[in-house]
Amino acid sequence: MQAIQDKEGVKRYLITLYVNGDSYTRVVKANTLLVNVLRDELDLTGTKKGCELGDCGSCTVLLDGKPVNSCLVLAVEADGHEILTIEGLGENEKLDPLQEAFIANAALQCGYCTSGMIMSAKALLNSNPNPTEQEVREAIAGNLCRCTGYVNIVKAILSCAQQPEGGSE
Amino acid sequence: MKREQFAVIGKSKPRIDGRVKVTGQAKYTGDIKLSNMLVGKILTSPHAHARILNIDTSEAERLPGVKAVITHKDVPSLKYGISPARWDENIFCIDKVRFVGDKVAAVAAIDEETVYKALKLIKVEYEVLPAVFDPIEALQEGAPLIHEEFPGNVNTEIHQSFGDVEKAFAEAYYVRTDTFVGQRTYQCPIEPHSAISVWEGGKLTVYSSTQSPHYFQYYIARQFGLKMGDVRVIKPHMGGGFGGKLEPTGLEFAGAALAMKTGRPVKMFYDRHEMFAHNRGRHKQIMKVTTGVDKNGKILGVHADFIMDGGAYTSLGVATAYYAGAMLPLTYEYENYKFDMVRAYTNLPACGAQRGHGHPQPRYAYECHLDMIAKDLGMDPLELRLINARKPNTVTPNAFRVNSCELEACLKKAREISGWDEKRKNLPSGKGIGLAVGSFVSGAGYPIYRTNLPHAAAMIKVNEDGTSATLYTGAVDIGQGSDTILCQMAAEAMGYTYEQMKIVAADTETTPHDFGAYASRQTLMSGAAVKQAGEEIRKQVIEMASMMLQTDYRDLEICEGLIWRRSDPSVTITFAEVARELFVRKGPLVGKGSYAPPRLGGTFKGAPVGTSPAYSFCAQISQVDIDEETGEIKVEHVWDVHDCGTVINPALLHGQVHGALFMGVGEAVWEEVVFDDKGKILNANLGEYRLPTALDMPKVTSELVFSEEPEPAGPWGVKEVGEGSTIPTMGCYSNAIYDAMGVRVYSLPLSYEKIWRALKGKREQEQKG
Amino acid sequence: MYLPDFDYIAATSVAEASRLLASLGPEAKILAGGTDVLPMMKQETIAPKTLVSITRLDGLKAISLEEGRGVVIGALCTHNEVMKSSLLQEKYLSVCETAHRMANNQIRNIGTIGGNITNAVPSADFPPILIALGATVTLQSNSGSRSVLLEDFFTGPRQSVIRQDEILTEIVIPVNGFNGSTYHKFGLRRSGALAVVGVAVAVVMEGDLCKDVRIALGAVAPTPIRAREAEALLRGKEINDALLEEAGKLAAAASKPISDMRGSAEYRRDMVRVFTRRCLRKAIDQGHV
Repeated sequence: MQAIQDKEGVKRYLITLYVNGDSYTRVVKANTLLVNVLRDELDLTGTKKGCELGDCGSCTVLLDGKPVNSCLVLAVEADGHEILTIEGLGENEKLDPLQEAFIANAALQCGYCTSGMIMSAKALLNSNPNPTEQEVREAIAGNLCRCTGYVNIVKAILSCAQQPEGGSE
Repeated sequence: MKREQFAVIGKSKPRIDGRVKVTGQAKYTGDIKLSNMLVGKILTSPHAHARILNIDTSEAERLPGVKAVITHKDVPSLKYGISPARWDENIFCIDKVRFVGDKVAAVAAIDEETVYKALKLIKVEYEVLPAVFDPIEALQEGAPLIHEEFPGNVNTEIHQSFGDVEKAFAEAYYVRTDTFVGQRTYQCPIEPHSAISVWEGGKLTVYSSTQSPHYFQYYIARQFGLKMGDVRVIKPHMGGGFGGKLEPTGLEFAGAALAMKTGRPVKMFYDRHEMFAHNRGRHKQIMKVTTGVDKNGKILGVHADFIMDGGAYTSLGVATAYYAGAMLPLTYEYENYKFDMVRAYTNLPACGAQRGHGHPQPRYAYECHLDMIAKDLGMDPLELRLINARKPNTVTPNAFRVNSCELEACLKKAREISGWDEKRKNLPSGKGIGLAVGSFVSGAGYPIYRTNLPHAAAMIKVNEDGTSATLYTGAVDIGQGSDTILCQMAAEAMGYTYEQMKIVAADTETTPHDFGAYASRQTLMSGAAVKQAGEEIRKQVIEMASMMLQTDYRDLEICEGLIWRRSDPSVTITFAEVARELFVRKGPLVGKGSYAPPRLGGTFKGAPVGTSPAYSFCAQISQVDIDEETGEIKVEHVWDVHDCGTVINPALLHGQVHGALFMGVGEAVWEEVVFDDKGKILNANLGEYRLPTALDMPKVTSELVFSEEPEPAGPWGVKEVGEGSTIPTMGCYSNAIYDAMGVRVYSLPLSYEKIWRALKGKREQEQKG
Repeated sequence: MYLPDFDYIAATSVAEASRLLASLGPEAKILAGGTDVLPMMKQETIAPKTLVSITRLDGLKAISLEEGRGVVIGALCTHNEVMKSSLLQEKYLSVCETAHRMANNQIRNIGTIGGNITNAVPSADFPPILIALGATVTLQSNSGSRSVLLEDFFTGPRQSVIRQDEILTEIVIPVNGFNGSTYHKFGLRRSGALAVVGVAVAVVMEGDLCKDVRIALGAVAPTPIRAREAEALLRGKEINDALLEEAGKLAAAASKPISDMRGSAEYRRDMVRVFTRRCLRKAIDQGHV
């Protein structure tokens, strides 16, 4: 990672992020957070800021496939890594089945937690295509929602679970 | 049952904003970027009560990138507040600060980092004053005085009396008094407050995460001496409010001043801990309730004697104080009622309106109290409530007219679906079942400031070729789904399809007036205006179709975009064809509507608070499992039965129940804003202020009951749903805990430790006895 | 919120990290997962001038069984990596279960076991179970490497024996004869809550006979502590419920909790009693470590 120093002695770093399949090179400071690069530099404002301490999950993105709070990741630490944000789900007009399920099950209200919630759910289903309700609840327990009581969110995620082979149980 | 069949309403249509929200495209205020935009923040007080001796902004001004630093000297000194009864706030503190977080100065700079650095460079010299944090202490003689204008720290004092309570108590078979204490909670919308102010050629535009563009427009204009027409308030997508975003904050006022000073757009925002400090959450109430009953359990009279901690300013607290007592008599029928209340100022953040405005804590107190009376009388608590439950077409002692009311049916259905009778007897040790009821307004009968403006207005414009129609409404979708259900209502009234509806909402310049999202008002009030606008379109379309089809208009039927002859259904024409023809012949096809409630309520002081065209009712039963050694409470199942009138969108409606219940669950067991002995919040974050997670939420069953006659006051018979289910939850849990363990916790939240302590006390008593 | 300025250096080896930490002094801090250090910096609890990132030291990310040493957990393993490790699931399921109840999923994906230990927060979840299992930590610097019994590692809240130039590189659970162990975190919410009381137990049972036992308590003293009187009571005895209750009482007596917004000292002490008894019973009955 290249670093340059300006006249005041502030160091800046040249980083490359692979976001939603595309490569972006940006100059950041040491204290620049991944969430700020996504929102301010790349204009990917689907990733939200809710608490900035890792408590609410609104800023959840997948870093190399794993859900993390992008408010607790330094941009320099994400250099060279793959990041998936809500904008990277689905293809063009076609929504991801999870996105469809959130709409179909009325699993969102204000929508502010929705991006992070869907990213957590996506990571779960990627690694565990047929989760139990308990597993769903554990996967989204780091995503706070103030509107829905999680009732329809859990329902939506479960509706995307693959049926085990040989039909439903 | 006389129930109409509907084409568009009554169906779980997908949210109109669903797609933009699941794709991350929806722009919330904080997501908006304008050219040349600055970032602003407010400097707040580190002291709970202190005199401001000097503010030195020079160093901050010298920091490269800082474009403006402002204090009280740079803004109007006119006092404001959302309640016109008590204007007691300034944009920035002038002589002293009154709580940790009080607003002192603001900075605008080129980016966030510079703003945060500049805030640190503002030097404020304070003389720290004695502070008071407890409402009872604040009301005592010699307590530090918080506002010179309000001696004794009394913000609001209420004494209402209806009938003759003393006589009722004297004649009662049994009189009981209990005291309960609530807690201070915070709305915690997941989206932090944010506002962008733009000042261009004498016009101020404010994008804000607000529940009411109208009140913001009114108060911002008033504060800066602008015409309301020169202030435009726009609400972008919004990440929840729950009452906390109903009044303008320093973000709008300071942002406007900074935009005027710099000539550039300024984006202001609160961090999570600043949201907690700004607060305006639920008041902590100390509630003494007395009830007299006859030997059958019929309530003869009630006395509610309350004190509430208002914090440092009024906020919506005058209304909260009245609501606290006004709502109690809605659920049970009795004629003698007395309500006393003092809202005290303290050196804590101001409290305001939170989901269920003023009512959940008194309801907790009252529903616990009633269970204790039932026990004393040897009655089933559900039977006691059935005996007293309000009937339709009755009037409360404080002059609220109740039309439809299915509280009795709610209770019976809750009993049935929860297995109440069986479980009361047979639950294993450690498990218990509890009941509570609630009621709420479907919109406030009167606006927050005195005006004769209608409460809601709407306009629908059909596109030139008839392939879409746009609803223009001032109603505010804060997440609850008003954009969706109002479009359903518009399509139903027009005879059109929901799928072709578009909406422009909550923009004071392009949409007609509406007071906004509070007091569960929009489905009934905004909906009434929308229905009227839709019917105006329908009438024009039918008339034109009658000409085009050469058919008497009385023989035409219209539904979901198709018009046909009743006498010969093979003769049809589409809505679109007719609408296009209308435009060609007559110009824009527009419908408009407005709504004002009838004159409601009595004439006594405070009579308007709690009036509403219609009231919802609900009964809630919960089943808990208590760990007798640790006090840990696991809520296993909650059954909510709501009488909320006609349903526009079942999926969204149940979502409102889930959400309201979720907030009640949190407040019942976990949530409380905690302060240190200097008035600083100890848990101003989402780690230590514990909203329930997906693992904490109980199983929920949400059911509805309907009245024989639809509610006459609402369009198609709609009523409240968004707040009602928050109200019974705390009392419901407390009663379930009692059923499980035989202990009563007299304060909220019903924390594990409090339950443990109560159980320990009970064991010690038993050992002694 | 704003993360104050700091200098960032990504170390490429433990040796380089140690050299940097030695030369930069106490104003330099290690960045591993960052889930503790970044929130503290944002809240201005600490203001390090430099963060020395060790996240690229891939050698510290393995979990392996080493002949003669036991199970060796690299300090940079995340909580979720600990939870999902098949080796740990087989050998010390209780450590995986401990990881599972920590923070929330997103934090578990970046927070590291080394960080959870070196932060020396009294309520941390890993230390009690690792202490009960007799774990040691390896502290490495350019002046050498030393092994410290985890039990002796902590000296106070956010204080430990680690020197400025040392890096905790691994946690070693030595070969031991425990045939039952468990950790219970008692928190005020089912996710994203700190322990109000944490109790870990490891036992060597022969039928009903308790051959050996260790009890470690978290969140009830300035550091994690052993409940030695309770252990002594049980060692060499036939186990019964009354004895376990007695052990709980002794553990409670050994705890020195504070009162704070999460719970009073009195409550915490009683919870030590309850959960010591319950954890003993569970560790004895479940038949695995």
